[in-house]
Parts: sequence; structure tokens; C-alpha cells
Amino acid sequence: MDRVADITVVRLEGISKSFGAVKANDAIDLDIRAGHILALLGENGAGKSTLMSILAGRFRPDAGRILVDGRETVLSSTKDAIRAGIGMVYQHFMLVPTMTVAQNVLLGQEGGFWLNRGRMEARVAELAEFFGLAIDPAATVSELSMGERQRVEILRLLARDSRVLIFDEPTAVLTPPEIVHLFAALKSMANRGKAIVFISHKLEEVLSLSDDIAILSRGRVVDRVETRVVCSKAELASRMVGREVFLEVEKEPLPPGEVVLEMSGVTGFGLKEVSLTLRQGEVLAVVGVAGNGQKALVETVTGFRRPATGKVNILGREWTEFFRNPDWKHALAYIPEDRLGLATCPNLDMVDNVLLTTRQGFTRGPFMEHGRARQVTADMVRDFDIQPARIATPAGKLSGGNLQKLVLAREFYRAPRLIVAEQPSQGLDVKATEEVWRQLLAARACAGILLVSGDLSEALQLADRIAVMFRGRFMDVFPVSDTAKVEAIGLAMAGVGAGH
Amino acid sequence: MTIDLLIPLLAATVQAGTPVLYATLGEMVTERSGTLNLGVEGMMLVGAFAAFLASTATGSPWVGFVAGGLGGLGLAAVHGLVTIVFTGNQVVSGLALTILGSGLAAYLGTPYVGANTPGFGHLPLPLLADIPVLGPVFFRHDALVYVSYVLPVLIWLLFARTRLGLALDAAGENPAAAKAAGLSVPGLRWLGVLAGGFLVGLGGAYLSLSYTHLWTNGLAAGRGWIAVALVIFAFWRPGRAVLGAYLFGGVMAFQLRLQASGTVLPSSLLLMLPYVLTILVLLLSSIRGRVKNAPAALGANVEPEG
Repeated sequence: MDRVADITVVRLEGISKSFGAVKANDAIDLDIRAGHILALLGENGAGKSTLMSILAGRFRPDAGRILVDGRETVLSSTKDAIRAGIGMVYQHFMLVPTMTVAQNVLLGQEGGFWLNRGRMEARVAELAEFFGLAIDPAATVSELSMGERQRVEILRLLARDSRVLIFDEPTAVLTPPEIVHLFAALKSMANRGKAIVFISHKLEEVLSLSDDIAILSRGRVVDRVETRVVCSKAELASRMVGREVFLEVEKEPLPPGEVVLEMSGVTGFGLKEVSLTLRQGEVLAVVGVAGNGQKALVETVTGFRRPATGKVNILGREWTEFFRNPDWKHALAYIPEDRLGLATCPNLDMVDNVLLTTRQGFTRGPFMEHGRARQVTADMVRDFDIQPARIATPAGKLSGGNLQKLVLAREFYRAPRLIVAEQPSQGLDVKATEEVWRQLLAARACAGILLVSGDLSEALQLADRIAVMFRGRFMDVFPVSDTAKVEAIGLAMAGVGAGH
Repeated sequence: MTIDLLIPLLAATVQAGTPVLYATLGEMVTERSGTLNLGVEGMMLVGAFAAFLASTATGSPWVGFVAGGLGGLGLAAVHGLVTIVFTGNQVVSGLALTILGSGLAAYLGTPYVGANTPGFGHLPLPLLADIPVLGPVFFRHDALVYVSYVLPVLIWLLFARTRLGLALDAAGENPAAAKAAGLSVPGLRWLGVLAGGFLVGLGGAYLSLSYTHLWTNGLAAGRGWIAVALVIFAFWRPGRAVLGAYLFGGVMAFQLRLQASGTVLPSSLLLMLPYVLTILVLLLSSIRGRVKNAPAALGANVEPEG
């Protein structure tokens, strides 16, 4: 198909950008073409977000040129980028929740002094219809789902006739049907001549959606490839890390030890009759579509929520008794999904973040032993290969993978006997995922692991047994060796065919 | 109470409520664009003094009125400098402004205490003033009162119907979103702070030019703080600000009448009434259903673009 296409809308030439000693972008060349979906793939900290922020006018490059329609253009503010027809949908939506869809779409647009609410809404409705982004223009944003909010963001760019639309991990917050919807809309926009840039970690998404793939690593474009010549996820993954990736980790079953977690008939807060037994040396993966009670399960086991009915025994102690005075060591560790919110304090350095859950091990009378804590943190940084290796780095400055490694290092320092890991590899690149998986498997030696994951391949890689959750209930619990049941997980996740 | 007693009381209510209305609307504009300015009391006093000085010097009350606004604006500019340019703490800066403004007005104003101002005279509006009841209550005042009738409508129009109002609201609700939409958040906040300061200054001007017609120290008498409270009571909506201001004005007028009638109640207690009532009303509206509509980013500074 000979599309409007193939016209390069934006060309980046030799873009470099450093933050202190870190070269985030190093002489990057990139063409963004009309009618094409370009995927930017790369590990955390590879420089994707920096590059796109430069394009969206948030940062100025240290060196290099940006050509828009062949003319050199300086993008020194968001406004400049918008004028040049470049718009970005951020991971965290930039919307005003108290305003309506139409108000958000038209916010900051040039135009007359007065607003005409009717005309405003009609225009947004028309745009939404044209690009297949169904939405009520009069709805207040705070009442919308994440998928709908994303549509508002997209509409805002379209309303300004943006020709280059950049999406920073757009599927991270969406449900599967919303992802399907988004992809259809992206393809329709590309077919109408828009240039789409799609930043993602998820290989299958990149393969199914994009026309071209640019792979970034350590601030450079290391590979450019047309999607149709890529055969498989494995090939893409290996191109990405520059070595053969085995997203398979070796796992030898360990003999099950004593029971570390026992739940029976736990009901309430969205849970229905949940019963399970977890032994030391074992990984029990809870899978299911997000929002089917996983949160309540995790919060019950980790002590955030008192179980309404039913019994929970942790390390042989009844729930109330266990949490009345839990031991900091040899007990329970929690690896939350929300790394920067729940697991760490972004503005505290690595040492203080380590102390958040291990401080009981560093006290002498009323005093903290900071010297020893620094030493221990430095050991963690070395053992877990955390970058940058400076222990005074604030947690918020670490990339997702390095932050997760810090959290794991901290939690494993407590030598836990029960580990609750929630989406431990979400948002991590292949290499970091692999490391996290290895660490978790190693931790089995003295602990039982309750793994809650939305990623089926992760569950299959790590688990000894799998529990499928649907509407607060365990549909089925079976060993991972039971291939027939593994095949039917998808159905069970959709609530079909209750196993018992 | 007969209607003959009620009408003067209501007319006095409007007069007593007007300065608070100006100040409340001013603080509302500032807060909706995301800046909390607790210096209202100080800005009012400086506005009152600037208005007095300018009208005495020129003999024109209108020049005084505008000078009052500029006085408030000038003090608000200090707040803008501290909070928008240097991202200083908004609460601290606002409190300092109140102290500075009160001190400045007292220091500069002491030599003039007791001096009369060529203020605004009564200007009954033709036809409207002759309407029974409504006429004497609303339409036999001075020009500044009439300006204050139009102001809430204009401010409502600004926020509900104009692009600029939408942008100001965005700066107060989610500055990051406003920036992503290509708006200049510092610019919008400057506008909110200065416009708000101007309106607060006008409220001060009303005090010296219309309400008392003479200069004394401490003219604002806590009305600036009342305005800060009324913004919350008003849920950041101009319509409710009118209600709040006249409620305060009503009790103020009522207690003045009561004092004049020679009651045995101590005057200090009566003077407290409007303030106590404001606290009560604020308390009740806060209990009934949380404080609504507060701009989400109110009081949060925005790092300058770099």
C-alpha cells in the first residue's frame, strides 16, 4: 500500500543529552514517518523517555538537530512542540480531573476569548467519532476509567492536528479489552497519515502493532528493524539485549518444608471462600485478570486488612497474633506492585530506604547504627548489581529495574520465611526481569512465595502451583505440571469451567 | 420587626458586606489559579491607605479607588515574587504579607488619623431606587456598591465561559496538565495573584472611601481574614461568595444597630458576633459535606521551567 506515507515528518540527528555524568541520549538519529507506527524498545534507563521528552519540548538536547518537515526546529517548550505538530500521551495522564472531557481537550488551544460549550462538545464528539474513540464529551474526567482518560489525551492531540503522536507505555494502565480498542485506534490514526511513536516493554505488543522498531540501549539506537521481518518474540528479545535471552529460568523443585501460610474460607472485601496452603520451598502463583480480588488477598496476607471471616495462619500463628508484634526478621516480606509509592520513599537515599523495613536490625538503644546500615546497603548494591552504585542516590532517581533490585535486596536481607510478591517484574526489561526471577527462585530455599502476577509467562516460569482467581474466588489450584489445566487457564480466568 | 426597621438594616447589610465581597472575590481568583495568599488583611489595609492618600491628594474618589486596587496589587506582587519566582512557602509569605501590610498602613497612616476623605457620595440609581423595598435596600448606595453587584457576575463569566478562565482553573487544579497543554502556569498564576490583589485592594478602598469616609488605623479589622474563610465557605464559587459576604455584613449591621440602641450587652461581645458567626457557618458547611471544590493544586508551587 502506497500511503501518504513514507514522508519523514520529524528527523532527529545526533541528539545527545546528559544528566550529570549519565549520558541518557548519545548521538541518536531517528526518522519518524507519517502513516507509520514506530516502536521504541529498550531496557529501563535506555533513554527512550528522555528522547521523547526532548521531542515533546520538555528538555533541550545538549547537541544535535531536530528537523520538522525538513526544517531545523528548536523545541524549547511544550508549546513549541505542539505548534510543530508533536504531542505526547504521558504514562501519567495530564488531565484536569474536575473538568469535562471537552474542556480538557480544548484546554490551552488557540481561539476566541469566549467558550461555547455546545460547539466545544460537538467538535470533540465529531473528532471522537472520526477516529473511533467513543467518549461522552460532557462527562467529567474524574468519573472516567483509565482507558477513557487515555482517549481524552489522544483526542486532545488530535484536536490540535498533531501529526506525531507519542505514546509512553500506553497499555500499562489498560484492561485487555481497552488495549484492543487502543490498538485499533492507533492503526486507524496511522492509516489517516499520523505518525505514531509507541514506547513499550512488551514484545508481543510491539510485534502486533508496529511497522518499524527502533531498539535503544544505553542511550544509543542499537538496532532498527522492520517489524515484518522479525520472526518471533525471542528474536526481538535477543536483538534487544544483544545476547541470547532465555526468558526461561532454570528451576529445580525443592522439597516442600513446613507450612508458612494457611488460609481457610476467607471471605470479605471481594474475597469469597479463599483457602490455600503454602509451604516453604514452594511458589504459589495467583493469576487472573486484574481486579478479581488479588488486591484484597495481598492486603489480607500482608496485614493491611483484617480478614472479615475465615482463618489465616502465618508461620503457625493466627493472623491477629502474628501482626500484633511481627518479627522484622525471619518472618514476612512484601514486594509491592507500587515500587515508588508503597515500597520506597522517592526522596530518601538508598540507605534510608533499606532502613524502612530493616531498622530493627540497626538499632542500639535509641540510636540508629547508620555506619553499619551504609555498609550493608553498599553490600546489597554490589551483590544485586544496582546502578548507579552510589548509596546516597535517592530511590526516585533509580530506574524501575534497579529500584526493584533494591527492594528485593532489602526484603531478602530480612531472611523472610513468607514472601508476598506482587507483579515483581512489571515494567522491567528482559534483563532485569530475569534477575528478579532468579532472586525469587533463590529465596525459595528458606521461604514460601505467594506470587501475584498478571503475567502468565511469569507465573508459569516461577510457580510450582497455580491458583486462578476470578471474582474473588479461586477457580482452580493445580500444579504447573498439569498441562491440561495450564492450557485452560485463559478460560478459568474468564470464569469458565469451575474446576471444583 | 417592622418593615421600616428592616429596610435600613438590610441596606446597612449591603454596605457592610461590600468590602468583604471585594476581598473574597479577589482571594477566590487567586486561589482558583492555585496560589494561596493569606495576606488579604494586609493587602486590604494597604489598599485602604493608598485609596485614602490618592483621593485626598487628587480630590478624585475614582483615582483613589484605582489607587487602592494598585496598592493591593503591589503587595500581591511581593507574594508572586516569593511564591512563583522563588517557589517560597505560600503560607509563610502570605502571613508575612499581612504583618507587613498592617504595619505599613499603620506606620504611614498614623499622621493622617482622623482626616476626612473626599469619598463617594450616595448615588440613587434612577428608576431602580424607586422600587419598593428593593430600591432602598440595593439601589440607594454609592457607585462602589454597584460595581460590586457586577463583579461576581463578571467573575462567574470569566471562569464558566472564557478560555482564560478555563486556563486559570487548570493552573489551580493540575499545573502539570496545564503545562502539557502548552499553557504558561507561572504566567497564569501571576495573573491570578495580581488580579486577586487588585480586587482585595478595591475592598480596602471601599473601607476608606465609602464606609468610613475618614482614615483611622486598623480599618480592615479582620475583614481580610473573614474573606479567606468565606472563600472556603463559598466553595470557590462567586455566587456563594455574595451569600457569605452579605451574611457577614448582616450580622455586622445588626450588632451595630444593637449597640446604637443602647443595649446592656457589652459592645465587645457584640463586635465579636460577625466573626463568631463566620466561624460557625464555615464549621457547619465543612461538617455537612466536606469542603468541596478546593482547587487540587492550591498552595502547591510549580517549579519554574528550566
